[in-house]
Amino acid sequence: MIRTPLRPLARILDARAKGQNPDAIERENLRVRHEQMRDQSRGRAEGRLLILGAVFLMAFGTVGARMGTLSASTPEEPRTAYTGSSILAQRADITDRNGNILATNLATHSLYAQPPFMIEKERAARKLVEIFPDLDEKRLIKDFTGKRKFLWIKKKISPEQMQQVHDLGEPGLMFGPREMRLYPNGSLAAHVLGGTSFGREGVHSAEVIGVAGVEKAFDSFLRDPANGGEPLRLSLDLTVQAATRRILYGGMKLMNAKGATSIMMDVHTGEVISVVSLPDFDPNDRPRPLTTGDQSDSPLFNRAVQGVYELGSTFKIFAVAQAMEQGLITPDTMIDTQGPLRWGKFRINDFHNYGPQLSATDVIVKSSNIGTARLAQQIGAEDQRTFLTKLGLLEPTALEMVEAPSIKPLLPPNWSELSAMTISYGHGLSASPMHLAAAYSTIVNGGYKVEPTLLAGGRPRGERVISEETSAAARDMLRQVVVRGTASFGEVEGYHVGGKTGTADKPKPNGGYYEDKVIATFASVFPAHDPRYVLIVTLDEPVETSGTEPRRTAGWTAVPVAAEIIRRTAPLLGLRPEIEPRPVYELTRVNN
Amino acid sequence: MSYLEYQQKTVPTGWRKVLHLNWALILLLAAVASVGFMMLFSVAGGSLRPWADPQIKRFIMGMGLMFFIAFVPIWFWRNMAAVAFGGSILLLLAVEFFGAVGMGAQRWIDLGFMRLQPSELTKITVVMILAAYYDWLPMEKVSRPLYVLIPAVLILLPTGLVLTQPDLGTALLLMIGGATVMFVAGVHWLYFAVVIAMGVGLIAGVFLSRGTPWQLLQDYQYRRIDTFLDPSSDPLGAGYHITQSKIALGSGGWTGRGFMQGTQSRLNFLPEKHTDFIFTTLAEEFGFIGGFSLLVLYGLIILFCLGAAIRNKDRFSSLLTVGIGMTFFLFFALNMSMVMGLAPVVGVPLPLVSYGGSAMLVLLVAFGLIQSAYVHRPRSKT
Repeated sequence: MIRTPLRPLARILDARAKGQNPDAIERENLRVRHEQMRDQSRGRAEGRLLILGAVFLMAFGTVGARMGTLSASTPEEPRTAYTGSSILAQRADITDRNGNILATNLATHSLYAQPPFMIEKERAARKLVEIFPDLDEKRLIKDFTGKRKFLWIKKKISPEQMQQVHDLGEPGLMFGPREMRLYPNGSLAAHVLGGTSFGREGVHSAEVIGVAGVEKAFDSFLRDPANGGEPLRLSLDLTVQAATRRILYGGMKLMNAKGATSIMMDVHTGEVISVVSLPDFDPNDRPRPLTTGDQSDSPLFNRAVQGVYELGSTFKIFAVAQAMEQGLITPDTMIDTQGPLRWGKFRINDFHNYGPQLSATDVIVKSSNIGTARLAQQIGAEDQRTFLTKLGLLEPTALEMVEAPSIKPLLPPNWSELSAMTISYGHGLSASPMHLAAAYSTIVNGGYKVEPTLLAGGRPRGERVISEETSAAARDMLRQVVVRGTASFGEVEGYHVGGKTGTADKPKPNGGYYEDKVIATFASVFPAHDPRYVLIVTLDEPVETSGTEPRRTAGWTAVPVAAEIIRRTAPLLGLRPEIEPRPVYELTRVNN
Repeated sequence: MSYLEYQQKTVPTGWRKVLHLNWALILLLAAVASVGFMMLFSVAGGSLRPWADPQIKRFIMGMGLMFFIAFVPIWFWRNMAAVAFGGSILLLLAVEFFGAVGMGAQRWIDLGFMRLQPSELTKITVVMILAAYYDWLPMEKVSRPLYVLIPAVLILLPTGLVLTQPDLGTALLLMIGGATVMFVAGVHWLYFAVVIAMGVGLIAGVFLSRGTPWQLLQDYQYRRIDTFLDPSSDPLGAGYHITQSKIALGSGGWTGRGFMQGTQSRLNFLPEKHTDFIFTTLAEEFGFIGGFSLLVLYGLIILFCLGAAIRNKDRFSSLLTVGIGMTFFLFFALNMSMVMGLAPVVGVPLPLVSYGGSAMLVLLVAFGLIQSAYVHRPRSKT
C-alpha cells in the first residue's frame, strides 16, 4: 500500500508559491482520509449487520414454522404416562387345583385429601363421616384445617362410595387408582392364603405384599413380572374345601368344641386337598393379631399347621407298624395287656380293662395303652426315635407356608424308656395335625415317605419307610377299628373308611392335665383297601351331650364329623362307592 | 466517527427531543406489553389481580424511566458505561454473598421495595461497555489478539459469576449478546470460528463429565437437557412443562379457543403459566394467528433496531443498538423455542409479556438507551 503523506510536500510548496493557505490542503487531505476509513469500517459493519439480519430472519422462520406445525398438530396426551411409576402393582392370581380363582386383583380407588385445595372443610368432614361412619369427624376437621398438605382418608373405597364422595364436589378430595387383593371365596382357605397388605403407597398405585400364608411364602413369585401373570396353582380343591368347612363348622357346633381343624391329603403325592381351621377369618379384611391372651384363640391361628397337640392314641399305629416292620410281632401275636403297667412310680392304665391279653390287631382296635407301651419297651427308645424321624414327626413339615418351618414338634428333653412308652400312645410328644396327616399317608400308601405340599402336582415319591406288607397290615388294622372298634361311627357305606381315634387330655399351662378338656382326633384313611386320601379331624375341647353324661372321646366326637366329611366329599373327589371284598370265609355259595 | 468530530449543534435540544423520539418503536413496545397485560388478565381467570395490575404499574414506571434516559444525551451514557459495568459486577458479587435463594438458585438482592436481579442488569451493561470499548478502539486494531482478549474478559467475567448462581439462560444470553457486538464491530471471523469450535468441545465435555465428580452442570440442568432431547421420556416429571405446552399449542390450532377460553393454562396444568410459559396461554387462546402476530411484533422491533443501527453514524450508538436488539431477540427467541420444544428449558422470560419486575424494567431502560442513541444521532450538516 502506498501511503499518501498527510502533507504532500509538492502540493504545499506549490500552494505557498500561489499564496494559498497550505493548512487547507492538509485539512482537506485529513477529511478525505477519515472518510475513506469510515467508509471502510462502515462497509464492514453494514456487511456484518446484514449477516446478523439474515440470522434473525432464519430464526424467525424457524420459530414461525415450528409454531405452524404445532398449531396444525392434533393435541395428544403422551401415551407413556404411566411408565414413570416405580411401584409395580400387578400380582399373579392364586387358583385351586382346577383353576378356580382363590385370590385375584380388583381395580379400585383410594381416597386422599389435599387440604390446601379444600373449600368447605367442615362440611366435607361432616359429609365424609356420613359416607364412612368409621371416620372421626373431629379428627378430620383437625387434619383438614391444620398444616397438613396431604392425608389418606381411605385406602380402598367402593364405586358407590366414590360416587358419593365425588358428589360432594370438594376439589381437595381426590381419588387415586389402586389395585387391591380380592379373595372372592371369603373365608374359604383363609389360613392357606393368609392375606396381603399395602407396602409402599403412592397416589397412583400401591404395592401389595403378602403378610401370611402362601401370599407371603410365594410373595416374590407372585410379584415377579417374569412369570407373565401365570397364576399360582395350589393343590387345594375348592369344592372339597367348601364342603369340608361347612361340615366341620357344623360338627364343631354340635360337639360344643371351641375349635376344629381338618386336613385331607393325597396319600401318594402329599398334596393337601383341603385344610380347614376353625374359627377362621375373612382374608379380605384380615383381623389384627391378638395383643393379649393366648394367640391360639385368635381366628388367625392355623390349628392344622401351627397347633401342636399331644395327638393321643392315633400314634399307636406307629408303634404297632414299627414292631411288625422289625418282625417282633404279626397282627395275630398276643400281647400282654394286664394292667396297670408300673414303671417306677408311674402307672399306665387303659380306659377299660381288656383282660390279660390282646392280639396286636385288637391292641389297635380297642386302643390299649398298656399293649402299645409293652411294644415300645420291646422296640426301645433309640429305634422308636429313628422310626418317628423317618415318618417326619420330629421335624418341621416342608409345607409351603411361612408359618410351617417354625412349627417344630415338642419332644421330651430326655428320650428315656418311659418317654418311649408314653409316646407310643401319643403322650409326651406334641405335633401338628399336618405332621399326623403326612405320617399316616406314609403308613398306608405302601410305605413311602410323604411330605405335605400345597402346590398342585405334589411331590415325587419319597424313600421307603416300611414294607408293602406292613403297610397292608396296618391298613387292615385301621379298617378293623372302624368295623368293630372305637371308631364305629366312622363307617361310610361304600368308602371303606379305616382310621384310629385319639383322645388326649389337654395339658394345663402350669403342668398337669385337665380332667374335662380334651383334644379329640380321628386320623382316617379311605378307601382302606386301596388308600387314596387321609383325613385328619381334630376337635378342641369337644363335649357330646346327647347321652346321660357328657362324652368327650374321639369316637363320639371327631369320628362322626370325619365320617360326614368323607360321605360328602368322596363323591366330589371322584371316588365311586364300591362293595368291599369280603373275606372268603364269610362268603356263602348259593346254588339254585 | 466520534462525537468529537461531528457537529453537536444539529442534535435537538430540550423538549424538542420529544418530536425526535423513535415513536414507532415506542408504539411497538406498548403493543407487545398490552398483549402481556391481556394474557396476565386471562391466566388470572379474568382478573387484574394478582398479576396484570402490578405489571401495568411497572410498565408505566418503566416507560417513565425510558423517557428520562432517552432525554439524556447518549455521550453521557457512553461515559457512564464503565461505571455501570463495574456497578453491575459488584451487584453480582453481592448476590453471590448476600443474595436470597429462590427456586434453588441464588439470583436476587432484596432491596425492600423490589427484588433486583443483577444478572438482568448485566445483560445491558456488558453491551454498553463493549460498545464503548469499540468506539474507543481504532479500527485497525480491532482484530489484534490483545484487543480481542480485553472484550472477551469483559464478557466472561459476568458470565462466570452468573453461571455460579446458577443461571444457564442468562449466561448464554450474556455470551451471545457480547459476541454479537464484537462481531458487528468487525472482529475477524476466525476468532468466532475458534470460539464456536471450543463451544462444541465444551458441550461434549459437559456430556462426557456427567456422572463423574467433576460434572460441569447441576443435576437439574442435565435433566433439562435430557428432557429437551426426549420430552416424552418423563412426561409427568421434568418433561411436564414442554409436553403440556405442546398440547396447549396444538389445541389452540390456527385461530385459538378465544380469549379466556384456554384450558391447559386455566386448569392449572401448567405451573409458571404467568411467567416463562405465558406464551402457551396466548397460543391456546389465539392460536397460530395470535402467536405469529406476537412474533411479527417482536420482529418489527428487531427490524427497527437494526435499521437504527445501520443508519446511525456514531459507532457507540450503532453497536449499543445492535447489542441491545440482539439481547432482546435472544430473550423471545429462546423463550419461544423453549416453549415449542426447540431449545431446552432455560429460565428465560418472554420479554415485556411475562410477569416479572426486573426483566421488564431493565428492558425498558435498554430501550431508553436506544432512544437516546436515536435522538442524539449525528446528522449531516445540511
